[in-house]
Amino acid sequence: MSKKQINIKNNVMAQIREGKITMHSKAYFVVGSMFLFVGFIALFILSVFLINIIFFVLKSHGPMGQYRLELLISNFPWWAPLFAILGIVIGIGILRKYDISYKKNFFLLILLFIGAIFLSGWLMDVTRVDDNWLKRGPMQKVMRHYIQNNDLPDRGFNKQMRNNRIMQFK
Amino acid sequence: MYYNVWDMSLFKKTTDEKLVEDIRSKNKELYAVIVERYQNKLMKYVVYLIHDEHKAADVVQETFIKAYINLNGFNVKKNFSSWIYRIAHNEAMNMVKKYRKEVPMNLNFDIKSDLELEEEFSKKEIKEKAEKCLNQIPIIYSEPLVLHFLDDKSYKEISDILRIPMGTVAIRINRAKAIMRNICQKNK
Repeated sequence: MSKKQINIKNNVMAQIREGKITMHSKAYFVVGSMFLFVGFIALFILSVFLINIIFFVLKSHGPMGQYRLELLISNFPWWAPLFAILGIVIGIGILRKYDISYKKNFFLLILLFIGAIFLSGWLMDVTRVDDNWLKRGPMQKVMRHYIQNNDLPDRGFNKQMRNNRIMQFK
Repeated sequence: MYYNVWDMSLFKKTTDEKLVEDIRSKNKELYAVIVERYQNKLMKYVVYLIHDEHKAADVVQETFIKAYINLNGFNVKKNFSSWIYRIAHNEAMNMVKKYRKEVPMNLNFDIKSDLELEEEFSKKEIKEKAEKCLNQIPIIYSEPLVLHFLDDKSYKEISDILRIPMGTVAIRINRAKAIMRNICQKNK
């Protein structure tokens, strides 16, 4: 064994014994993972909303279209980009500092992530979640107010009125 | 409790992963066993990467320090050897980039795809010729070759250390053999 190699061992162990180098606590890695997790969740939400808006803009959307688009934008989770950027940057900063992460199939992970984003955005569009925001909860009042002010027909209300008329004739 | 060279034999059968668990929870002095186990292997590996024994010793020392600092981040269900080699690889690459002008290495070198890849060299032949020709091979090819033939790493381990698919490991090793053969023949 060469002198230099003995020195490596002695130097490293001396630094450990003297407390010059200490292990990062497990919490350090947990916090790093949590930042990354929150970052990716926020990125996911952000992407789903963006995809949903893109689907919406690409479709023909009738007289309420402009209003629904505005509503989508006004409901846009603006905290998501902030959380996404902060979470991912801090998380990667903590975990990648000494490259302690393990090999992952990043190509597959990115494909799955993008796939999940498009699927969720498409599902939101198909299941008309944006319409439900209009017809349920606090947004219902906003919609009624908008319809009354602009004298616009509404499928949901017209259907209910038609059903009421049928009940009256019966 | 301190351990000397003779005490090291006590841990001959203890796996790296078990040692890491003990270092983390019981006795940090056991880290000396890890250093003892890996310092020669890492020195050999890093010297092949940066061609300078003094700088290699610094890289290896830094590797052990960083590995110790991040020991709690190591997953004991995974292979410790690949983990510490990965840290050494990163440290060596940092050193190569830092002294790129002093140690010219073509990191992006590639060879023509139609290069004929003939029969593989035997392990013994590779070992004999390696030291003569290895320095002239681009690092992206020499590194998997060194890990496979000189450090006896499997394709899976090399794939973990270099973060490249196993197929790419195989291709780079084959190309490295071909380049090596050409270089060695020219040097005859």
